[in-house]
Amino acid sequence: MGMGTRLRNLGRRERVDAEIAAELEAHIALAVEDAVRKGMSEQQARRVARLKFGNPVIAKETTMGADAVLGLDGLARDVKLALRQLRKSPGFAATVIATLALGIGANTTVFSIVDAVLLRPLPYHQPQRLVEVQSSDVGQQYEGSDVSYPDFFDWRAQNRSFEQLVSYHDTSLTLTGVERAVHLDGEVVSADLLPLVGIEPQLGRGFSAADEKQGTRVALISHALWVSQFGADPSVVGRTMHLSGDAFTVIGVMPASFRFPVTEPNNSFWTTLAVDNDGTPKTATANRGDHFLNAMGRLKSGVTVAQADAEMKAIATRLAKQYPDTNTKHSSAQVVSELTALLGDTRTLLLVVLGAVALVLLVACGNIANLLLARVREREREIAVRAALGAARVRIVRQLLAESLVLGIAGGLAGCLLALAATPLVLRVLPTGVPRADDAGVNLMVLGFALGISLVCGTVFGTIPALMASRTNLADTLKEGGRAQISGHDWLRSAVIVGQVALGIVLTAGAGLLLTSFLKLTHNNEGFNPDHLLTYQFETPDSRYKDSRPEFYQQYFERLRALPGVTSASGSMFLPMGNNEAVLSFDNPEKPATPGHRPSAELDIIAPRFFETMQIPLLSGRDFSAADTEKSQQVMIVNQAFVQKFFPGENPLGKKLKPGASNGGRNGPAWRTIVGVVGNVRRDATDREESPIQYLPASQLSAWCCLITVARTAVDPMSLEPEVRNLVASMDRDIPVTDVHTMHDLIGMQLAQPRFAMVLLGVFAALALVLTVVGLYGVMAYSVARRTREIGVRLALGARRGTVMQMVLRQAAVLVGIGMAIGIAATLASASVLRSMLYGTAERNPLVLALVCAVVAVAGFLAAYLPAQRASSIEPMQALRSE
Amino acid sequence: MAKNDLQGTLDLLVLKTLAQMGRLHGYGIVQHIQRVSDELLRVEEGSLYPALHRMEQSGWIGSEWALTETGRKAKYYRLTATGRRRLDEAERDFEELVKGVRAVLRYA
Repeated sequence: MGMGTRLRNLGRRERVDAEIAAELEAHIALAVEDAVRKGMSEQQARRVARLKFGNPVIAKETTMGADAVLGLDGLARDVKLALRQLRKSPGFAATVIATLALGIGANTTVFSIVDAVLLRPLPYHQPQRLVEVQSSDVGQQYEGSDVSYPDFFDWRAQNRSFEQLVSYHDTSLTLTGVERAVHLDGEVVSADLLPLVGIEPQLGRGFSAADEKQGTRVALISHALWVSQFGADPSVVGRTMHLSGDAFTVIGVMPASFRFPVTEPNNSFWTTLAVDNDGTPKTATANRGDHFLNAMGRLKSGVTVAQADAEMKAIATRLAKQYPDTNTKHSSAQVVSELTALLGDTRTLLLVVLGAVALVLLVACGNIANLLLARVREREREIAVRAALGAARVRIVRQLLAESLVLGIAGGLAGCLLALAATPLVLRVLPTGVPRADDAGVNLMVLGFALGISLVCGTVFGTIPALMASRTNLADTLKEGGRAQISGHDWLRSAVIVGQVALGIVLTAGAGLLLTSFLKLTHNNEGFNPDHLLTYQFETPDSRYKDSRPEFYQQYFERLRALPGVTSASGSMFLPMGNNEAVLSFDNPEKPATPGHRPSAELDIIAPRFFETMQIPLLSGRDFSAADTEKSQQVMIVNQAFVQKFFPGENPLGKKLKPGASNGGRNGPAWRTIVGVVGNVRRDATDREESPIQYLPASQLSAWCCLITVARTAVDPMSLEPEVRNLVASMDRDIPVTDVHTMHDLIGMQLAQPRFAMVLLGVFAALALVLTVVGLYGVMAYSVARRTREIGVRLALGARRGTVMQMVLRQAAVLVGIGMAIGIAATLASASVLRSMLYGTAERNPLVLALVCAVVAVAGFLAAYLPAQRASSIEPMQALRSE
Repeated sequence: MAKNDLQGTLDLLVLKTLAQMGRLHGYGIVQHIQRVSDELLRVEEGSLYPALHRMEQSGWIGSEWALTETGRKAKYYRLTATGRRRLDEAERDFEELVKGVRAVLRYA
């Protein structure tokens, strides 16, 4: 076969074209010559020859067809023809491409993020075998899932499920002895960390079991710290670095890609649990009631999560029997896959967003299907004419397919561009707590995914209309002059619209619920005044401030209050909105309980004038003052919720409680007198209720570090940042100030996740609504255009224009109505998906649903109004004369 | 079953003509077939040229531009070796077709 010839022909199309023309021309000339020779006049001969020859264009076309049997040339021509056709209807092409771009762009963006956060495996060796082990006790509201050291040691020694079981918790220390002291985030882990994750240090060695011994201070440092503070010097191994006054030996440097835990990308060092062991009996590693550890394990090969879970539950139950004083509220444990534990409620958020974006894509596809169907109907006549003129059916189908593919690819490319632009924007509004989001970006796989979608869209939506068109009955179509009665296409188009309306309702209802919930959250009363509050932190390391903290803080706050622009200032260890909380059990002499069954409440340790600074109302009694020292009467303040829960209907002032917080001395926790009652505060912006809180004075608990500063300012809070940094540096140049924020920033960060969900779902719902309106408008406008003649006849026979308008509107109303009914049913059925993301509203909120229906109804009316208007203004005479 | 159809018959006629006459242009082929068949067979130009181009693509015939006796430029076709083999095949197929059709017609 002359493959070469054909390919060459492809390149020299024009020449071949001319050659064929010349050949046919020669044929006619020869025939004329012959006829003239036989005695015919030249003119007559020419006419006869032409007549005999038939249509030269068709002959040329078919001859050319024979030249390009392979179809390669045909494809190029199809695409060229498709482009020409699309240029002829730019409105149609633009709508389809824009719709596809929106659908694909939104999908690619969301998929990029979901891929980075949900789908990619953890960056460790055999991550599917990593699990998180948590302490638990169903039914106890205040008991967290953290583990205490003694429990962890028992778990580690007794389990048979894990190759390694490692404890870890965040820490932050100050690196001194360098040019400028810096604050470093790090992790305190047990010795098996590196075997657990299966990663070797780039330099030096990992931890050994001996590194857990009391008094050991060794550290692995991050690649980033090695470069920034040690100039990437390979001799760093074995050197000493000073962290918050302690001397640590650097034993190794981790690879640049190493992260542990993955939620803490900024960790600069890893050290062993020896730092939590100062040798006293009250130390963290010996305190079974001190729950602040996470534990990660590597399952032995062949052990399932369920088996490990069962074993850990058994161990926890045994420990609870053995140590009832501390472990009664930790009588169980649970083992979950590490990825699940890591994602937490982010998973729901991303799945909801992913679902939303898929719905938008469906709506977009519906629109495109409708547009293409309408186009095929419009072109039925053209297609029939072409078929009648001898175009092969395959060619017609191929050409329609080429058009859809061109549209699909154009839309896909536009969508990719949109995704490239939108992904960084979405990442910016993404809540900071979403793990691994920093790694997200549009990647090749996702781009491939998007282009795949566009090709599938192009093929699917091209094939259906193309097949329909190819089944066109030539004679009928030509006879009818393109005015076919209601046929299968219209049925399909109506069904698509109904589906779109239903999807639109589901999305808009979801967005409406999240919006309601978000408004509730932002209009929550925090219990304090968040305006003009500046907050920041610094450390007062034990090595220098263990005994002098109260004096240091007193002096510091006095100097801070004296700064121009500061009206009031104080400190709190667990500042509201600070993502930090502690729960402490206490002994109540009126209701004695064994240690394991004591009540507990949230804890805050504060400096004097905290309530004044925060503007939390003091309801009765007094605030802490400088007179409350370690030597004076031990005191505490509680909030209203605390009184309601533990002293309902009583005056709590003067009552004595023993909160389990000791100052490290030999006497243990002290009995404290309640000296004041204050108003409730919302400790967390997304808290569903106000919890009981016990406030203890920092001046009586000097061993507890550290206070977060909060200052009420008369000026823009952030404008004071240089002054407060100077102030702290002037008192101790080795303690850097970190986390400088306004209170509104803190609240904003806590609301980031609900805001993200609301914004994204809102955008998607709006997109879906717009697409639906466009789709409905298209269907109605098309239907009116097709019925011009019929409407003309009706008007001519005396129908009133109002009636005609009603007729069109009714048609739209039926479609919207059915869609709405399905949408409401689907919304009610799927509502529980959102439950965990909603605050202050039920997941089935009739008001929201009613509002959404109203919005959709109005949008539907607008979409149908213009076509209805057009229908009622049809001139009967013109309509009857047309065609 | 002999492979045959109308297109095959046209191919056969063209190939045979070129085998008998050597070099010939399209118009000449039409004329030759008409004359030799005593005006019984009339080849449509609309079918002839696509067939010629198809056979050329298949390598059965070759072509060149040359002048006619009257000094007009025309595209001349000639049989290739492949075309000669194809002609033998086509002739055999045709004989079988005729035999088959005749058998059917004679069946009583």
